[in-house]
Amino acid sequence: MAEHRDIHINVPVLTRVEGEGALELDIVGGEIERLNLRIFEPPRLFEKFIEGYERNQVIDMVARICGICPVAYQMSAVQAFERLSGFTPDPWVQGMRRVMYCGEWIQSHALHVHLLAAPDFLGFESAIAMAADYPDAVRRGLQLQTLGNDLIAMFGGRSVHPVGVRVGGFYRAPDSSAVAMMVKRLQAALPEAEALIGWTAGLDFPDDDQSFISVALSDPDEYAIGQGRLISGQGLDIDICYFDSHFKEIQSPHSTALHCELEGRPYLTGPLARLNLNFHQLPAEVRRLMEGCGIRFPSHNMFHSIVARAIELYFAISEAIRLLQDYQSPAQSYREVEAVEGDAFGCTEAPRGILWHRYDVDDAGIVRYARIVPPTSQNQGRIEEDIALSLQKFGLDQTDEKLRLRAEQVIRNYDPCISCATHFLKLNVNRG
Amino acid sequence: MIRIIGVGSPFGADRVGWLAIDHLQGCQLEDCELIKLDRPGSGLLNYLRDADWVVLIDALKSTGRAGDVAQISRDKLAQCQALTSCHGFGVAEALALADQLGELPRQVLLLGIHVGDDQERPPALDVVSLEQQIQALLASG
Repeated sequence: MAEHRDIHINVPVLTRVEGEGALELDIVGGEIERLNLRIFEPPRLFEKFIEGYERNQVIDMVARICGICPVAYQMSAVQAFERLSGFTPDPWVQGMRRVMYCGEWIQSHALHVHLLAAPDFLGFESAIAMAADYPDAVRRGLQLQTLGNDLIAMFGGRSVHPVGVRVGGFYRAPDSSAVAMMVKRLQAALPEAEALIGWTAGLDFPDDDQSFISVALSDPDEYAIGQGRLISGQGLDIDICYFDSHFKEIQSPHSTALHCELEGRPYLTGPLARLNLNFHQLPAEVRRLMEGCGIRFPSHNMFHSIVARAIELYFAISEAIRLLQDYQSPAQSYREVEAVEGDAFGCTEAPRGILWHRYDVDDAGIVRYARIVPPTSQNQGRIEEDIALSLQKFGLDQTDEKLRLRAEQVIRNYDPCISCATHFLKLNVNRG
Repeated sequence: MIRIIGVGSPFGADRVGWLAIDHLQGCQLEDCELIKLDRPGSGLLNYLRDADWVVLIDALKSTGRAGDVAQISRDKLAQCQALTSCHGFGVAEALALADQLGELPRQVLLLGIHVGDDQERPPALDVVSLEQQIQALLASG
């Protein structure tokens, strides 16, 4: 009979993720006894301190929750306030918000693919170390990230914590000349983005299919980004206002971020979930690249997330070109929207997955209560489930170092943003 | 041409790199390009790539007197490199990445302005020391 080591793995600070967290893993008698993704970054209490502020102030304040996905926070908030008032933004505003959101997908996906995830697949401890052997790949990532940031800044004044979105539209419309220059840059980047799909699809992926529930927004008219109904691969199809009837946030003693379950089960949100559920809505050109890349979607191998991000990055560039190429400055970049008292619900597809907001607003547009459910807290349960399944398949008799690296890679497949969720990783493996 | 870059943000003591650029704009420096960057992260590389000389001015949290200007060596800065998150991609990481990619300017000078204990507001900048260090650099170039 084989002897089992008792293993205690402790990753005290997880690198190449956003925010601060740790992983504790106890393996006793060849079985995982304890696996905790510990999110110890202190709660940031954002929801509490936006109480008492007016709608447009809140839109700028929630952007401060994250330096990587501020647009997502702004878009979920503005959608909530406008829905409550029964206001539908005009086609120009809807189109330009989608373009701004594409900017965030481009910069966030470029950052994750090149600087955070690729070193795992290529055997480097960091993007800086990877740059010596893969300088062109790193340069491509930096250029695409800059492009996304500049697209955000075109609407928001700056890419980190932008300030352009307001209830009813945008504070100002970009100049036609700036848009024309941006379209040229986007067109020039398309071949790079196409090459990225092939580059990511050519990485070495573990064979690790798992059964999990994908959850995403669905819009009958387009690949959902800024609006839609909540759907799952198991038949869920609800308006976002019924989130609480199906999803439940729960406290876990080892995490300062709430876990979230769908009908009592963990689930996946993010690029792979979106692609699994909505790939048929991608434009023909993007679908052709997806189908020709050698990876089959829908996929239940979380390591394929890096390819999903590359496909979405290409899509986001092509979508921005489509929406900007016939750009005309509007007569008005926003309309006044009267405040209405009541419960406001917003939900959009942040780069990492669905970002759900609920606000209780008074008749002057002042927020009395806020609740924000970010993608990383929703993915926590799925991440823990995935690590356990992945490590069992990988082999618990592997060395502590290999187990730690595999666990970290699994976590990074989710591109977790702990700062958002605490509002993430150290690994402790105990073989006791 | 020397490119002088103030790194910071609109908030609290982190503004001090920008305030240094504001001051230098009134000094009529010859053959200098003055730039303010808002938390550029890896985007800093875009401002290093085509430059020969770069001076980076950033807020410094250390034991010095608030407002004092200190030169920081690349070696010392590398010790500060502690990349654990993408938000943590700061000046040290950007310079290390530029170095790996062979995109470092011929000369890079790092000036840190001590912010002291009060991080709510920028310190009173030692403008004399700042100007002297910039002028000395120009004279040597």
